[in-house]
Amino acid sequence: MKLYKLILVAFILGLVFTSCTNDDDVNSSPLPLGDYEDGILISHEGNFGQGNASVSFVSYDLQTVENNIYSAVNSNSLGDTAQSIGFNGNLAYIVLNVSNAIEVVNRYTFESVATINTGLNNPRFIAFANGKGYVTNWGDGSVATDDYLAVIDLSSNTLTTQTIAVVEGPEEIVASNNTLYVAHQGGFSQNNVISVIDATSDMVSSTITVGDVPNSMQLDNSGNLWVLAGGKPSWTGEETGGKLSKINTIDNSMTSIDFADTEHPNHLALDNGALYYYMSGSVFKMASSEITLPSSAELIGLNFYGMTVNNSVLYGVDAVDFTNNGTLSTYNLSSNSLEASATLNIIPGGIYFN
Amino acid sequence: MKQIILFYCLLLFSSVAWSQITLDSIQNLDEVVLSDVKLKQYAKGYKLTMLGDSILRKNRTSLTDVLRFNSNIYFKENGYGMVSSASFRGTNASQTAVIWNGININSQLNGQVDFNTISSSNYDNISIRSGGGSVQYGSGAIGGTVHLSNDLDFETHFDNRAQVSFGSFDTQNVNYNGSFGNGKWSANIGAAYVSSENDYQFLGTDRKNDNGAFDNLDLNLNLGYIMSDKDVLKLYHQNFRSDREFSETLLAPSNSKYETQDYRTMIDWTRIGNTYTSTIKAVHLQEQFKYFENKTLDNNFSEGKVNTFLIKQHYKHEFSKRLIVSVISDASHITASGNSFANPNRNTFSATAILNHRPTEKLQYNLNVRQDVFSDFESPLVFSGDVSYQLLKWYVLKINASKNFRIPTFNDLYWNPGGNLDLNPEESYQVDLGHEFTYKEATLKLNSYYIETADLIQWRPNSASGYWNPVNVANAKHYGLEAEVGIKKIFNKHTLNFSSAYSYTETEDVEKNQRLFYVPLHKANASLAYNYKSFTAFYQHLYNGEVEIIGNTLEGFDVGNLGLSYNFNTTGKLVYEANFRINNIYNTYYENVALRPMPNRNFTINLTLKF
Repeated sequence: MKLYKLILVAFILGLVFTSCTNDDDVNSSPLPLGDYEDGILISHEGNFGQGNASVSFVSYDLQTVENNIYSAVNSNSLGDTAQSIGFNGNLAYIVLNVSNAIEVVNRYTFESVATINTGLNNPRFIAFANGKGYVTNWGDGSVATDDYLAVIDLSSNTLTTQTIAVVEGPEEIVASNNTLYVAHQGGFSQNNVISVIDATSDMVSSTITVGDVPNSMQLDNSGNLWVLAGGKPSWTGEETGGKLSKINTIDNSMTSIDFADTEHPNHLALDNGALYYYMSGSVFKMASSEITLPSSAELIGLNFYGMTVNNSVLYGVDAVDFTNNGTLSTYNLSSNSLEASATLNIIPGGIYFN
Repeated sequence: MKQIILFYCLLLFSSVAWSQITLDSIQNLDEVVLSDVKLKQYAKGYKLTMLGDSILRKNRTSLTDVLRFNSNIYFKENGYGMVSSASFRGTNASQTAVIWNGININSQLNGQVDFNTISSSNYDNISIRSGGGSVQYGSGAIGGTVHLSNDLDFETHFDNRAQVSFGSFDTQNVNYNGSFGNGKWSANIGAAYVSSENDYQFLGTDRKNDNGAFDNLDLNLNLGYIMSDKDVLKLYHQNFRSDREFSETLLAPSNSKYETQDYRTMIDWTRIGNTYTSTIKAVHLQEQFKYFENKTLDNNFSEGKVNTFLIKQHYKHEFSKRLIVSVISDASHITASGNSFANPNRNTFSATAILNHRPTEKLQYNLNVRQDVFSDFESPLVFSGDVSYQLLKWYVLKINASKNFRIPTFNDLYWNPGGNLDLNPEESYQVDLGHEFTYKEATLKLNSYYIETADLIQWRPNSASGYWNPVNVANAKHYGLEAEVGIKKIFNKHTLNFSSAYSYTETEDVEKNQRLFYVPLHKANASLAYNYKSFTAFYQHLYNGEVEIIGNTLEGFDVGNLGLSYNFNTTGKLVYEANFRINNIYNTYYENVALRPMPNRNFTINLTLKF
């Protein structure tokens, strides 16, 4: 018993001394904004209906992984099926599809700020414009006519009574100043439309027809919106190939490149003037000035559930078989080689830089 | 309990009883023997657990509850009253076959039976046969079989039983059973209706079990007619309708509901000669479901429907009193329709041969071999063998081994997107060693088993196609121990009954080298009943150990129920009985499936009138 106490005292003293040393460092650099500053946030869908959605924090070198950061900080469960995260200022908005909720947290400390759990029905993605948050909602998945955008007042983080009705299956949403672009994959069905929404009037100002099942969008520095459509899958019996479209956001004029009928690309990324996409286990790269699709892949033999590119590094998450822990891998795009891998949690999907 | 002992006796002497029956006049045909002959005759080397009339009446709750508290079977219930599936010895829900009066009624769509769509009150007995030896019952009987039996009693009688009960959470239960026999005719009718708001509070929160209401109706009509001193004609009909909301989880709201309907009809003609018995069954089964994502939208649902037409012939020849050979053949035509597939159909044919030999009074063995032919894929030859040897007056040794299979379901084969026509049946091998000890009114059954299943069908994401496919991918091993104890003690006018079942179940997903999800390592239940004259009290207890779930473990739990009943006699034929029951008396918070809290302490009052 005495020995035990001695060890405890030694341990406490050790802590005190260590803390003293640390204090000096803190004084000489700016105060950190929180434990989760300067690293990668990975949203995990978790299993549908199983309530095991989570967010992981990963250092840029992938050497440090902290899973379940929301529940560690807030001592409660995040929710069911974290579809995506949107960031505005210091806040992160975690969209929980099956919980019909948005958890608003401080993006650096992950302390809960607000929970929005009324007025949402199958929420998918969020974007911000004109002091408001815009959330795409499928409504009932099996009903084609009840899809809408919910509007959040960012000053109070509460839902406004305003909703904006849109066509079926709104998915990803991006904002360019006061204009929002919504890609309509079609929910349980298939659609082929981009809705353009004016954040001043909160009205749909126009719709642009793109390829079937538009799954990802990127805005470039020249005011172009790039839309990648995956095409209709073969099981529908009306298979169509993918399509990459460039939309001039000033006049909504559009040019497109078609994929072959059985090619279904996904996960469009944009980095240093180059576009990247994922298709059938491979990553392809093309300069945004190109008018033809690349014929060979940069990386092959992959199994990505989500992918993005940042500063010539490609980040891909693999959800494996959806019941074991997924992984995050980084690839150096100069040498096209694997840099690092880390094991995460169940069904990683979204990759965000904090 | 009297019935149970009676059943055990019947089991022990079934061969003897059978030979007597063929000699005796047809009017003396035993009701039990008539219901599901194969079960008793060819189950010698298997553990058989019978839940007779008294247990079914005492529980008066869902079949899930009856079995959870009275057998080794583990149930995964998605919130009280919601979809409930069984796991035998760690096998999955589609590897447990449910047999209705001798016919396999597992869903053709998902291979499973939802135990909350079966009413316990309209069956005369429910028996559980552990192990994979139920080769003659076909696909899915890997972990074991649950037999639902209606008995037709031809002895002259006219009995009625009416029950009404009220319980917490706005639960009502009304049922009626009538049974008639006049020597030539036999009939029984059952109707059971249950409805519940099921809006129990989640303990420790201010939330309720929203969107969890359910109601269901079970109608049964069974008729028997003795045509001649050799021929009996029987008709069985059952219709079960359920209308359930799908309750929310702690983290996901719900606004959906689910409607199901099952129709089961069977005509059975049995001819009993001096040395042979021949049975022909013609069966129609229909299952259908409608799923409403939003319960307020009546015209917005997805649906599925399956019709099965089946003819089954069973010919049994008695070469001597010790040697019986049976040949069973059946042919079926199955058609399905629904939102997620075109209109697939399947034709099947199977032939089974069974040898039943009793070289001495103490030794009996059975050999089964079965081959199926399916129109849409290949199926393996399966077999089973079992031996029962009465080594001592109080000790019986039982050994059985088998090869079993489970065919891919319509969903596995035809679901769009994903259905995979290249699937093979799941295959399993299993061995089981059992010991049965009997001393006066005490019994002890010990079983150990080993099951290996290959080519398990699992739905996996397919990175090439972008959607999920079922594939023959997993292999699993199961081994474990089961113990069942039953003790009855009578002193003066006091009767004590104790029964308990414990199971230790080890499982391994061979590919991942981890335990299977939702299989408790330990599960135990016990019940104690005390009777004095017109008064009966019982207590039942369930311990369900922790289970692995995806990325986590779910805590185990203990739940206890207490019941009291009083028989207001009994002059003449009229019997009144009142029951009071407290479920979850310790007011335990527990989740049977993660994030789905089960009911807190609740009460039921039940009045029964027999005349």
